[in-house]
Amino acid sequence: MLGALAIAYFAFALVPLHVLDSRWLVALLGCIALAWVVVRPLGERRDDVIPAIAVLLTSIGLIVIARVAPTLAARQLIWLTIALVLAIGAGPAFRRYRVLARYKYVWILASIVLFVLVALFGQEVNGAKLWIRVGTLQFEPIEAIKLFVVLFMAAYLAETADVIAAARPWSLRANAKYLGPLFIGWGTSVGILVFERDVGTAALLLAIFAAMLYVATRRIDLVVGSVAVFGLAAWWAVHHYTYVALRIAAWRHPFADPYGAGYQSLQALFGLGAGGLFGTGYGLGKPGYIPAVATDYVYAAFSEEFGALGGIAVCALFLVLVLRALAVAREKPDLYGRLLATGLASTLGFQVFIIMGGVLHLFPLTGITLPFFSYGGSSLVANYLLVAFLWALSARATA
Amino acid sequence: MTNASIQAVWRLFAGLFLVLALRQFYVQVVAAPQIAARPYNPRLRLLEAYRGRILAADGSVLAQTVGGKRTYPMGPALAQTVGYLSSRYGAAGLEAAFDNALQPADTNGDPAAQLAQIGAAFAGRQAVSHGADVVTTLDPAIETALASELGDHARGAGVVLDARSGAVLAIASVPTFDPNDFDRIFPTLRDDPSSPLLNRAIDGLYPPGSTWKIFTASAALDSGTVAMDATFDDPGYFQIGDYVVHDNEGEATGTQDLTGAFALSSNVDFAQIALKVGADQWEAYARRWGIGDSFDFQLPAERDRMPGTNELYPGILAQLAFGQASLLVPPLRVALLGATIAGNGSEPRPFIVREVVGAGGTTTTAPATLAQPISAETAENVKKMMVAVVERGTGTPAALPNVTVAGKTGTATNPGVAHSWFVCFAPADAPRIVVAVIVENGGYGADVAAPIARSVMRVALGRVKS
Repeated sequence: MLGALAIAYFAFALVPLHVLDSRWLVALLGCIALAWVVVRPLGERRDDVIPAIAVLLTSIGLIVIARVAPTLAARQLIWLTIALVLAIGAGPAFRRYRVLARYKYVWILASIVLFVLVALFGQEVNGAKLWIRVGTLQFEPIEAIKLFVVLFMAAYLAETADVIAAARPWSLRANAKYLGPLFIGWGTSVGILVFERDVGTAALLLAIFAAMLYVATRRIDLVVGSVAVFGLAAWWAVHHYTYVALRIAAWRHPFADPYGAGYQSLQALFGLGAGGLFGTGYGLGKPGYIPAVATDYVYAAFSEEFGALGGIAVCALFLVLVLRALAVAREKPDLYGRLLATGLASTLGFQVFIIMGGVLHLFPLTGITLPFFSYGGSSLVANYLLVAFLWALSARATA
Repeated sequence: MTNASIQAVWRLFAGLFLVLALRQFYVQVVAAPQIAARPYNPRLRLLEAYRGRILAADGSVLAQTVGGKRTYPMGPALAQTVGYLSSRYGAAGLEAAFDNALQPADTNGDPAAQLAQIGAAFAGRQAVSHGADVVTTLDPAIETALASELGDHARGAGVVLDARSGAVLAIASVPTFDPNDFDRIFPTLRDDPSSPLLNRAIDGLYPPGSTWKIFTASAALDSGTVAMDATFDDPGYFQIGDYVVHDNEGEATGTQDLTGAFALSSNVDFAQIALKVGADQWEAYARRWGIGDSFDFQLPAERDRMPGTNELYPGILAQLAFGQASLLVPPLRVALLGATIAGNGSEPRPFIVREVVGAGGTTTTAPATLAQPISAETAENVKKMMVAVVERGTGTPAALPNVTVAGKTGTATNPGVAHSWFVCFAPADAPRIVVAVIVENGGYGADVAAPIARSVMRVALGRVKS
């Protein structure tokens, strides 16, 4: 953790002074981050690499945001404070995570309520409904929903995994009995596609489902079923929502409509192209050409100025975080803990893959954020809670 | 119990992130050059802000980028030569020919340049690479004189050379256009039947008319076919087979020596001289002058068109003698005819860019010789005849007080009114300036082109001191 903070300090030294004028706030954040890791329950050993990578990634994200949108960077600092405080505050609850299993229907209910709220009151941004506005505050319910879904799935699957695993794929009755709630999950995912028109969110939820289901039951047919359901729904969306079709067109033919539908992704491509292997250097690139760069394309801005090497390094940091989280899953003695850790790791991993792949033009870009990196309060808070949870799960009694 | 499936998820993520890393490398390193070169890339326009300038010999600006816009202070006078730079219509002239030098170094996908840039940033410097400045040999005063003289005519061109080096001092082509307003006027220019985009001075192909008698006389004297004191009889016409040669500048010059035939521009006499020279020697001299060869010029120039070996029948040869038949040359070639006589028989290589001044150093163009087609003695004799043209022949309108001008008129027959030509150099004893002028369908060389050449010569002699 100290190492991560040291690197973060050097990273901040790059930021022009006038942009982040509250140096003391940065220092305070460093202390909070350190306190978070140092003040831990006695007699436990935890994997400190997990919070350290989160802090490091946030710092890198912050210096990029400070460069492309200084006012957002100041706000991001405040969000980071809130996220850290919440992560510390939620620590004790995460330590007694087994209690959370009791409220599994609370989680699924909460996510359904949030989902309905978005469908009813959601703000439409670029054709997708992802945001809810409460006064001046905007937040993305998906960030909470994804955590709730993991909590529910872990608890539910921990109880029923054996039965589902034993059920023969073709036995409708046996499957229907226990898979019912899971179908609700699939339904939610598809519903998000239909009512909120966001393919990325739907893909993320379905991927989390599939990964947890597979770990719990090793039933590959359910994974294939999930993918098939998603494929059909996505196909339907492409043909019924012009916005989805436009995004796909912009992805397939980025140069066809350079000043229209393809503008944003094209500018991101130019940014990446300008970056090359070593990048243009911090502050020397022109990421400002990319519309909504602080939210959708922070990673493109980073890659322009730090190059493919910088990008691959960040990619590697995310991978280490995910693999460490999966290692936590492997160490857990109980199925519930294992599924929780797997779910949280998958959430992080798939979200990163979906957004990075979108930025790198591997597939069409979707509206979800890059954890720790993108500007966004709800995203930061949710992902810090996620990391705090994983960190708590990594606890082992010292001998 | 679930270790194996967690392991599978572990492998899945390792694989997915490997795909991301490979993709990142591909987009940013492998595909980057193609991506960056797309015309919609706003970064290219940024680079243009640092594009180098094009300068005249005295350092005055011919093209520079101000506030993101390329401006051309000389405007229409040098429109085709300096050229234009348009994001929509590309580039032309020096802007195109020296684009690589003018363009700032593009560090896209170039790891070494990027490392240097990062190093400079750490050292507290902003490493902005500027494009090189292209310094031409053009003289703004001579250029203005040439362009304004030609500007009185619908179509035409002119070249002014430094007789000692082959440096282009001025070059102009009419009709012309304002390169400062290029994007707006391009559609009109493209559809204009008089082709204002064409640089007639180097890319216009014309019959050289009687200016070509410089070549004919040189070949005749240099090969020893005709002596200076030989006499010729011109009754006003001369029949070769079915073809009849007429004089079209002076009529029936009667009995003349070579100088008289040259000064009065007798087609009849020169047709006979060409026949004496013969096809073989004619071809040999064409090769020695490099007729039809590249000028090795810094701008794309058209090559001369000369009838091939198997076409040199007597009737054709007789017409070639006074620059007709299917002989076509750009005005730059006619200027080089004059420069070769002025240069004691050595043909200079024309050049318009003197040096390219970049961050990495300066590249200088050294004057060079294209060929030595005739002896100094022959050149001296032809020079005497050219002096006679201006003193007492067809070229008297080109005479200047206090300086001896050597010249040759041309009246090139073509569909419509003849093209008016004049080529001259001065001072005759130590030539500094060569001027070649054509006015399309202008009529007699003496009437239109010669006075233009005279005005330009006067300005040029005042600008270029010995």
